[in-house]
Amino acid sequence: MNRSQMKLKWTIWVLSVLLLLACLLSLNVGVVAISPAEVFQMLTGNGTEQQALVLFEIRLPSMVLALLVGTAMAISGAILQSITRNELADPGILGINTGAGLAVVIYIAFSQTATGSLSASGALILPFFAFFGALLTAVLITVLAWKRGFHSIRLILVGIGINAGLSAILITLQLRLSPQDFMEAMVWLCGDLWATQWQYVRTLSSWLVLLIPYTLYKAHTLNILNLGSQVATGLGIRSNREYLILIVLAVAMSGLGVAAGGGIAFLGLIAPHIARRIVGPRHQAMLPPAALLGSLILLLSDTIGKNLLSPTELPAGMVVSMVSAPYFIFLLMKTK
Amino acid sequence: MTTLSAEQLTIGYDERTIVRQLDLVFPPGQITAIIGPNGCGKSTILKTMARLHPATSGAVYLDGKMIQKMPTKEIAKKMAILPQSPEAPNGLTVYELVSYGRTPHQSGFVRLNQHDCDMIAWALEVTGLTELQHQAVDALSGGQRQRAWIAMALAQETDLLLLDEPTTYLDLAHQLEVLQLLEKLNQEDGRTIIMVIHDLNHASRFAHQLVALKKGSIVKQGTAEQVMIPNVLKEVFNIDTTIVRDPRTNKPAIISYDLIR
Repeated sequence: MNRSQMKLKWTIWVLSVLLLLACLLSLNVGVVAISPAEVFQMLTGNGTEQQALVLFEIRLPSMVLALLVGTAMAISGAILQSITRNELADPGILGINTGAGLAVVIYIAFSQTATGSLSASGALILPFFAFFGALLTAVLITVLAWKRGFHSIRLILVGIGINAGLSAILITLQLRLSPQDFMEAMVWLCGDLWATQWQYVRTLSSWLVLLIPYTLYKAHTLNILNLGSQVATGLGIRSNREYLILIVLAVAMSGLGVAAGGGIAFLGLIAPHIARRIVGPRHQAMLPPAALLGSLILLLSDTIGKNLLSPTELPAGMVVSMVSAPYFIFLLMKTK
Repeated sequence: MTTLSAEQLTIGYDERTIVRQLDLVFPPGQITAIIGPNGCGKSTILKTMARLHPATSGAVYLDGKMIQKMPTKEIAKKMAILPQSPEAPNGLTVYELVSYGRTPHQSGFVRLNQHDCDMIAWALEVTGLTELQHQAVDALSGGQRQRAWIAMALAQETDLLLLDEPTTYLDLAHQLEVLQLLEKLNQEDGRTIIMVIHDLNHASRFAHQLVALKKGSIVKQGTAEQVMIPNVLKEVFNIDTTIVRDPRTNKPAIISYDLIR
């Protein structure tokens, strides 16, 4: 076994152990403290009813949700960084966050919520709104950027333009909301991992079970596209077709992630970035650590956000930015 | 032997036509150098011959088959193309890059078989990169980096090798190193090599056939002795040249030139 394989193996082990610890921590801390020993007791069917409710209906689904959304955003970011050959790319360039955010704000603005909070049916419809908002924006950007083929710089520029336009509409709409609705929209936009019911977790996981293995199957294609479309075509890759497939994959995953998690901005940029720095750019090697890192960062951020200023909760997406931005800058300064 | 030719090829970008009704044959087993001033369509022709750029009309034939109608993977098994100044992602090792050259011979979940590994080892060896195979491509010098890309193209195991300005950004010694490697591949394995090159003395020294282009049309096509003459160079580059026999290679070489005003 050579050095890079050893490094990959170690990275995956270390990240898995860290992730396991983070899982235990996230189940443990909160208004009702549940020790790891009690967690195991309950998993074997013992424990008090109140603890069981907290664990199975609140902490466990929100933990699994953080893992899934983190994975989805990280893999989506990895795909986009590779096909655009730009380390600053993330799902945001396809308008995922802005599109979903706008759809959510439109929904909140036009649904009459007398009590000021979302009704039960509203909570069910919102993720669909977010998902289709994200999807529609991504389609718009891809279609406008497509010019007899895929050009990464066009995609990035069109993405910036559309994002700016949609953000303006979003802010205009938001300013017309009632203060209560405004807060609600704001929290959503910051990415507060709000879809913590089991039904969302099940939907999200069943999609990811299909999409992630397919992305892994495309790992070699990603390697080749990362050399640029001309080299890729020269090597016999049908590049335009593959670009489209991979954009669809990235949009599907980040769209699902945003629908369930809200506007989590920075994760799709930083998780694949760190993974690449540790294990190199080969996708067979970097996708698994990127997914683990995405899950780890989001879960820790969620746990911190829920407990740091308790009883006030900070949206996980905001904590992600606060925690990872300094580390990201440190990484950039460390390398030449 | 794989043959490559173009018939009545017209190429353009958007509305602008660059090349009009070009007929071109690349003799198999030979080195062809495409020369011409900036913007004359050299790179565009090379890209179209390698199906990286679409033709407006006309056809490119690879072994008698129309390239536009062939699956891109089939083409990649017969023809390797190295675009101008390609870039590898940070941290990619030489071995990994060269192994990507096996892509047209693989499918599905990629595993390298024994033949793949043999070809990669050979490509590394012939380009003198065996010692450097675990280094990152971005950590190499310019000459080594270019050799790594050539090694990738060699691992593709094709008779035909197309290169767009393979010596750009290299110093004199590294330019020669790359060109001598291409010459060796041509002489020892009979590979057909087609390259776009700016240095006319290099073209004269290494190519069996020179194609001199101006504004998308062939001004002169033939051996160095036929193309490297003042009249042709005057028409193509608008320069006044003094040409002698290179004492080392006995090929025509420009020792001095000036712009014609």
